[in-house]
Amino acid sequence: MMKVVKLHESRSHEWLVFGRDEERPSKIIDTNQYMIKTTNHAIMLDPGGIELFSAMLAAVVHHVPINQITHLFASHQDPDIISSLGLWDKTLPHAELYAPWLWEGFLRHFGCNSIRYNPLPDEGKSIRLDEVELQFIPAHYMHSSGNFSVYDPQAKILMSGDIGAALLPDNAPLFVEDFDAHVDKMRLFHQRWMPSNRAKKDWVRRVRQLEIEYLAPQHGAIFKGRDVQRFLDWLDELEVGTGVSAR
Amino acid sequence: MHSNRKNSAHFFINAATVAAELSVVLTEAKNISLEAMNAKALVARAGDNVRTFKPITDFMVELANDTIWLVKEINREALVLSRTSLAELHSSDAHNRFKRAQQKASLAPYGDTIDTIAAEASNTHHQQAMQLRRHMRKLFELLDEIESRMLAANVVTATSRLEAATAADSYQASLEGIVIKLEKAANRIKHIASKCRRSLER
Repeated sequence: MMKVVKLHESRSHEWLVFGRDEERPSKIIDTNQYMIKTTNHAIMLDPGGIELFSAMLAAVVHHVPINQITHLFASHQDPDIISSLGLWDKTLPHAELYAPWLWEGFLRHFGCNSIRYNPLPDEGKSIRLDEVELQFIPAHYMHSSGNFSVYDPQAKILMSGDIGAALLPDNAPLFVEDFDAHVDKMRLFHQRWMPSNRAKKDWVRRVRQLEIEYLAPQHGAIFKGRDVQRFLDWLDELEVGTGVSAR
Repeated sequence: MHSNRKNSAHFFINAATVAAELSVVLTEAKNISLEAMNAKALVARAGDNVRTFKPITDFMVELANDTIWLVKEINREALVLSRTSLAELHSSDAHNRFKRAQQKASLAPYGDTIDTIAAEASNTHHQQAMQLRRHMRKLFELLDEIESRMLAANVVTATSRLEAATAADSYQASLEGIVIKLEKAANRIKHIASKCRRSLER
């Protein structure tokens, strides 16, 4: 069964995180899926890979009826992010997908016949679901060349996609409990998957201007409170793109 | 469930293989057509000396044309079958994933909102499976047809041999050459058609 944790609850909306699926095939990377539920709508952020689809759909209907899910978001094109698209396309034929413009022709290979693809421009964009504003913040080259984070200024949550990801053992806690110990579990991921120091610095600089209570990555554990700033400081200093020196 | 998935995967690969194998048959059928033209020219040149060979050359032309048409039909049907079996595989996968979600969500407050989509997926899968069976049947019928044409070709080669043996000496070798080529092409086509059938039945 997939674990579900409520990250935020207010009069206007809820943030839910789905992950740590016990029945996940052992060789596929664990992922965190997010859903924001407003009065009449719901958006799934990085709804996950095809192998997780059944578990994810089953988990989602514990919280919303299917027809309330009107939007999807894909931070980038990777299979663990959105290879379930073809099945969501059958499930939610009237939904809209927000994803980088750069990947439209690629993402459609997963099957996107009914869902409307809303290409996100490089500079980002904001949308409103009922009373909730969501900002798609550019995170290009972090790690994908067309990549976005999602910021909710009311809940003060930044869904950061692969930024802040860590490779953790099964059943690891959903929140970072010991930042110093956690660093070891995310160093390799950031050094090897993130290609550009310039892009990293630029993203950190822009994100520092936001008020963030939770920094929620697509893999690993969620940062909260002071750990958010500690993570940004750590990332700012980290040298990335180390794959070029491998022989 | 697993055997269905295996069958669809198997058809989709084998149907594509059949289409590839048939390109050889098309070449052989074109060879028959060429030999038929040679035979016709020879019969026209030889006049009364090989008069009895005329209906045989007519048959060869007809056989070549029919084979070319049949191969094109089989090729088209094999490609349709390959596409259909792939669609069946996808629909079976979707059906199973929705079914699994339904089972997992049996106690969920909004679990019943999956039911319509799961039923649609099941229906789509059922239709795809029926279509797959229909295309399989059609392909086997076409393979039957090509095999029976080649059996007829064997009978004609036997008759042609006799006719060639009775022809004037100056034409005998040429006529026998044509008969041998026709026989070889028919046997090769028969062999490939049975191979295709076997790979689809496997």
